[in-house]
Amino acid sequence: MALSGMRGLSVFISDVRNCQNKDQERLRVDKELGNIRTRFKNEKGLSPYEKKKYVWKMLYIYMLGYDVDFGHMEAVSLISAPKYPEKQVGYIVTSCLLNENHDFLRLAINTVRNDIIGRNETFQCLALTMVGNIGGRDFAESLAPDVQKLLISSSCRPLVRKKAALCLLRLFRKNPDVVNVDGWVDRMAQLLDERDLGVLTSSMSLLVALVSNNHEAYWSCLPKCVKTLERLARNQDIPQEYTYYGIPSPWLQVKTMRALQYFPTIEDPNTRRSLFEVLQRILMGTDVVKNVNKNNASHAVLFEALALVMHLDAEKEMMSQCVALLGKFIAVREPNIRYLGLENMTRMLLVTDVQDIIKRHQAQIITSLKDPDISIRRRALDLLYGMCDITNAKDIVEELLQYLSTAEFAMREELSLKAAILAEKFAPDLSWYVDVILQLIDKAGDFVSDDIWFRVVQFVTNNEDLQPYAAAKAREYLDKPAIHETMVKVSAYLLGEFGHLLARRPGCSPKELFSIIHEKLPTVPSSTIPILLSTYAKILMHTQPPDPELQNQIWGIFNKYESCIDAEIQQRAVEYHALSRKGASLMDILAEMPKFPERQSALIKKAEDTEVDTAEQSAIKLRTQQQTSSALVVTDQRPANGTPSGIQLSLVKVPSMSINEDHNMAEQGLSHENGILSKVDPQTPSADLLGDLLGPLAIEGPPGTDVQSQQNIVSGLENVPNTVEAAAIVPVEEQTNSIQPIGSIAERFHALCLKDSGVLYEDPYIQIGIKAEWRGHQGRVVLFLGNKNTSPLVSVHAIILPPSHLKIELSLVPDTIPPRAQVQCPLEVVNLRPSRDVAVLDFSYKFGNNMVNAKLRLPAVLNKFLHPISVSADEFFPQWRSLSGPPLKLQEVVRGVRPMPLLDMANLFNSFRLMVSPGLDPNPNNLVASTTYYSESTMAMLCLVRIETDPADRTQLRMTVASGDPTLTFELKEFIKEQLVSIPTASRAPMPATPAPPIPQPTSPAAALTDPGAMLAGLL
Amino acid sequence: MPVAASAIYFLNLRGDVLINRLYRDDVGGNMVDAFRVHIMQTKELGTCPVRQIGGCSFFYMRISNVYIVIVVSSNANVACAFKFVVEAVSLFKSYFGGAFDEDAIRNNFVLIYELLDEIMDFGYPQNLSPEILKLYITQEGVRSPFSSKPTDKPVPNATLQVTGAVGWRREGLVYKKNEVFLDIVESVNLLMSSKGSVLRCDVTGKILMKCFLSGMPDLKLGLNDKIGLEKESQLKSRPTKSGKTIELDDVTFHQCVNLTRFNSEKTVSFVPPDGEFELMKYRITEGVNLPFRVLPTIKELGRTRMEVNVKVKSVFGAKMFALGVVIKIPVPKQTAKTSFQVTSGRAKYNAAIDCLVWKIRKFPGQTEPTMSAEVELISTIAEKKSWTRPPIQMEFQVPMFTASGLRVRFLKVWEKNGYNTVEWVRYITKAGSYEIRC
Repeated sequence: MALSGMRGLSVFISDVRNCQNKDQERLRVDKELGNIRTRFKNEKGLSPYEKKKYVWKMLYIYMLGYDVDFGHMEAVSLISAPKYPEKQVGYIVTSCLLNENHDFLRLAINTVRNDIIGRNETFQCLALTMVGNIGGRDFAESLAPDVQKLLISSSCRPLVRKKAALCLLRLFRKNPDVVNVDGWVDRMAQLLDERDLGVLTSSMSLLVALVSNNHEAYWSCLPKCVKTLERLARNQDIPQEYTYYGIPSPWLQVKTMRALQYFPTIEDPNTRRSLFEVLQRILMGTDVVKNVNKNNASHAVLFEALALVMHLDAEKEMMSQCVALLGKFIAVREPNIRYLGLENMTRMLLVTDVQDIIKRHQAQIITSLKDPDISIRRRALDLLYGMCDITNAKDIVEELLQYLSTAEFAMREELSLKAAILAEKFAPDLSWYVDVILQLIDKAGDFVSDDIWFRVVQFVTNNEDLQPYAAAKAREYLDKPAIHETMVKVSAYLLGEFGHLLARRPGCSPKELFSIIHEKLPTVPSSTIPILLSTYAKILMHTQPPDPELQNQIWGIFNKYESCIDAEIQQRAVEYHALSRKGASLMDILAEMPKFPERQSALIKKAEDTEVDTAEQSAIKLRTQQQTSSALVVTDQRPANGTPSGIQLSLVKVPSMSINEDHNMAEQGLSHENGILSKVDPQTPSADLLGDLLGPLAIEGPPGTDVQSQQNIVSGLENVPNTVEAAAIVPVEEQTNSIQPIGSIAERFHALCLKDSGVLYEDPYIQIGIKAEWRGHQGRVVLFLGNKNTSPLVSVHAIILPPSHLKIELSLVPDTIPPRAQVQCPLEVVNLRPSRDVAVLDFSYKFGNNMVNAKLRLPAVLNKFLHPISVSADEFFPQWRSLSGPPLKLQEVVRGVRPMPLLDMANLFNSFRLMVSPGLDPNPNNLVASTTYYSESTMAMLCLVRIETDPADRTQLRMTVASGDPTLTFELKEFIKEQLVSIPTASRAPMPATPAPPIPQPTSPAAALTDPGAMLAGLL
Repeated sequence: MPVAASAIYFLNLRGDVLINRLYRDDVGGNMVDAFRVHIMQTKELGTCPVRQIGGCSFFYMRISNVYIVIVVSSNANVACAFKFVVEAVSLFKSYFGGAFDEDAIRNNFVLIYELLDEIMDFGYPQNLSPEILKLYITQEGVRSPFSSKPTDKPVPNATLQVTGAVGWRREGLVYKKNEVFLDIVESVNLLMSSKGSVLRCDVTGKILMKCFLSGMPDLKLGLNDKIGLEKESQLKSRPTKSGKTIELDDVTFHQCVNLTRFNSEKTVSFVPPDGEFELMKYRITEGVNLPFRVLPTIKELGRTRMEVNVKVKSVFGAKMFALGVVIKIPVPKQTAKTSFQVTSGRAKYNAAIDCLVWKIRKFPGQTEPTMSAEVELISTIAEKKSWTRPPIQMEFQVPMFTASGLRVRFLKVWEKNGYNTVEWVRYITKAGSYEIRC
């Protein structure tokens, strides 16, 4: 460097480096700054050499971290010096000390421009570097055309053009207008034909920035990018100096693939084919080797290729190849590679096709959970969490539980949360869920947040079958010598509520329960005592006939706490004491807790919050965003009174309280308003779970407000219709949309019920296409959201409101759809139970100032989970006979059928996947069909259908449906009936059956009462 | 007495633990890591000597290139802790022969451990007097009990010494020449406004003594302080002599001073320790004689020029003189060029501290030298902030002058042998923080 000969500078630097501590250094630097100031002030005596020397010193001081707020003038003036060393320091110091907003730069622009358009290459390079470093709007405006000229000029050396490309990139980032000139796209495409790899790499960087901004304009570059990739990866046609450990210019490869990812799809089949060929080659050719540098380079290329493969939505074969490769990675010893493997596998989860393939590596991933490196463990946990589904949930959750006892504290909270969520989401049966959570609390009590045990309590309360089991389990845990406080809470709560269900088991008499719970009282903090008091009150209430000894004991405790300093404990003690003396009324007031309204698990919300710090693209995050908890399974949804009801889409579930009971609710509310009304609290959905669990037990409100409560009820009932309307998420038509859809939504829907791809919705701005694949009880639906306009659609939201029997996961929908672009949103559908309910896609976007909202039924209907199967006569008849009578075999005479020839009917049946087996029935007027129905609860279930028609009256027929599952039989019968009664046509009267248009329920109180949440909201 | 320390650490500037001692087990051994991470490696260092991290309090101070950190988890007496550190350091210094730094600690590990064991028990400070400790913590080798050679020095009875009535003085001292040195050292703190009015002014003084006296002498010191004189005139029932009397505030005595007698007779009488010690400290806020008056005029002429004129007037007796007078006149950071005219001493610009430094080696009383300087500033790109004008600082020493006017009236020595003693008395006034706003 030009330092030789500048003695003053080297002396200063060595002085600074010899300083013992910071203070000495500061003193030395301040002294030098004083010296420089004196020198600069002394303008006449400053030779160019001195100026250069002092500016270097300034730079050195600046680099040491001190403020240098003078001397910029001198630095800028050096730029115009004729000699290289002076010009160099001028450029370097200017680019370091000044930022784009400095006025001094204006002084320099002209000099810089002269250097750029001058013929001296070194000066051109210096100037380009400085402009690239500083950027800035002023520079962009005045210098961009010159830089562009340099970039495309053929007379310049590659060195200069390289710098010009990078300089332009920087200017573009500051001011995107600089490349918005006519013909630049073509020039850009030309640049990609460049033979020199240096220039090509720089141009590719520029292209990546350009394409990310506006990919449409640069379509023409796409084939060239693919060509470049071909040249690098396939032909290996590059000079020796651009290979890195035998890999042809990994940087350029990565950049090219990055650029390709900005194009939504590749439409030209040739290009696509050759690109896939290259990708294939990269995937095949990458392996783990000894050399770290080589690994780094080849893996960078590989992972970019993987990203591209995922982006392009390649064939399954290629995907599985990718997964296999990653599987190899996660088996490697080297931790970095394993980390990358796990992380990319998590990303692969987004492409749901490969989930099954990833599952093959489950064992290996679980091993990674025990890795000494915590970052790997976290990745493995993420991946396990992401890949979990019904099939492997049990294994994974068990593995997580096992791991919990050895995991370090930093991970335990996250781990227990995730285990809880998985257990909840994918529980094959609810007792297992209870087992898991209780184990979880037992093993990692400190790390189990309150939400987790609140959730268990909700589950158990809402499921009567589960209650004895949970209570017995809780009782078992209480036998352990030392249990965690949370466990005390859960056990006490469960035993208080449901302990009486165990009364006949040994060791579970009220007295014993009381004594074992009371043993724990001294060990728990005051926050738990209120729960214990409630438990005592409940035990007391359930003890029939009353046990005076127990009663005295419990009263003694209440007595003791009546003067407790904690207001909550005191209030409970006083109230329970007073209530328990009232005898019979205690029964009513302390009756079992009513069921909780369904709501999204707070856990999942929490997981979302904790995800923030982990990888942005984490699959978990996506899942949690889109999935409503399958915990909605809890209440089974038998159509009330057996009448097919069209409004079962509501998310607010009808709990299994039968309607008859509900009829009484109002009266009950009147008579027990003290008890029931206060317990009603939890039914108003509230975010505060703790409040729900603890609050209702405190009894509020003086008795004797009958009149008022009656009024409340009346007004509540009046309110009910509205509430129902608001709650039932049925409206299928658009609401208050100023934009009219093209074509009939209903018609499109019905067409899609019978085929797997087509247009779901269309209006002047957007077209939503759908493409579905169904396999067994699972399905993959891809929504294609296409923007038909030249301006972007913003605020795009799509929410799936799935019925209870479907588990639907919608991948992330981008907020904005760029102009003339199509966005794909894959949906995963899992059928849990037979049901005819339809999922609704709540879709909205904003165009200009118009907010467009559409509620669209998704054609994930019952028949999609059918699989036609042909049965021979000797298979059919034994089956038919074995399924005898209701509820497995149902028969109905259907009237009002649209008349049609038998052949048409057979075709219709075939179209919705009921295989008509001709010749099985001797009567030619009859039809026999068979199919297999897939759902998670029924698994593959054979269904048999027989239709007997009357040749005299084609409008009526007798239909018999049989299957191994009563619900399925019913649902299938109803489904077929709907199809027969009214075949969808354009000019069709409103359909009476599912999928139903919005049926605002007649405002009858009875119907309204089916929604206890709404009713209670009214009551309160 | 409250706890002063749970643990004490000696760290070097990098944060390595040189030596440590845990006195109570209520702090973990790794607490010093918290100190290193949260204090030493941040800008917090040096801003506040007491910091709380995670339920523990850290008291620290830097002595040469060593940080001494005290960790406590209870509510400790901070002043006691710092006093303990200061005393411990002076103890170490007296053991190591002057220097206390990283090397000294490294060279005296064993000795330091021995001392740390002795000077604090379970967090409560114990005897820190070097004279006493040197009786039983010695730096000499331990003689083997099997050695036949009889001891040439009688082993001093340490226990008796420590628990005796005069714990600070050993018996049986003999000096050929009995001498007492007494220094009154005062430092003047001043903050004066630019108009010349005194905003804050006080004097902190201390009386340092050095005794080389045989036997167990009893000394009595008389000063011209107000209480002492009034009491004396009461006792002797004769009017106070003419002359100024001084009102002393916040007087603290060395432990050797007999406080009961001070309370009853208001005289300072004591049996001195052997060697050097600080007899008393005091403070004076009224009637301070300022040795110097400073009259600055600083004019900013435009953005790039300044004119500085400073006149300093000495207001003590014409026969006295001040030594080492340094006047630091702050100038803006972007000072580029300076030129001076002084009537006495030398002036120059010091860029490292952004001050004009005017030095006068010998400054006679009742004179007023002046300095005028022209300062040129360089223009900067940063927005011109108005210069904050820090105060002018001054350093000086004036021998045989007390800013308080305190004088020694008598210093009497009684000893049962009745030898003659020579008494030497000196006065000196120094600048504390002597600042004049401009």
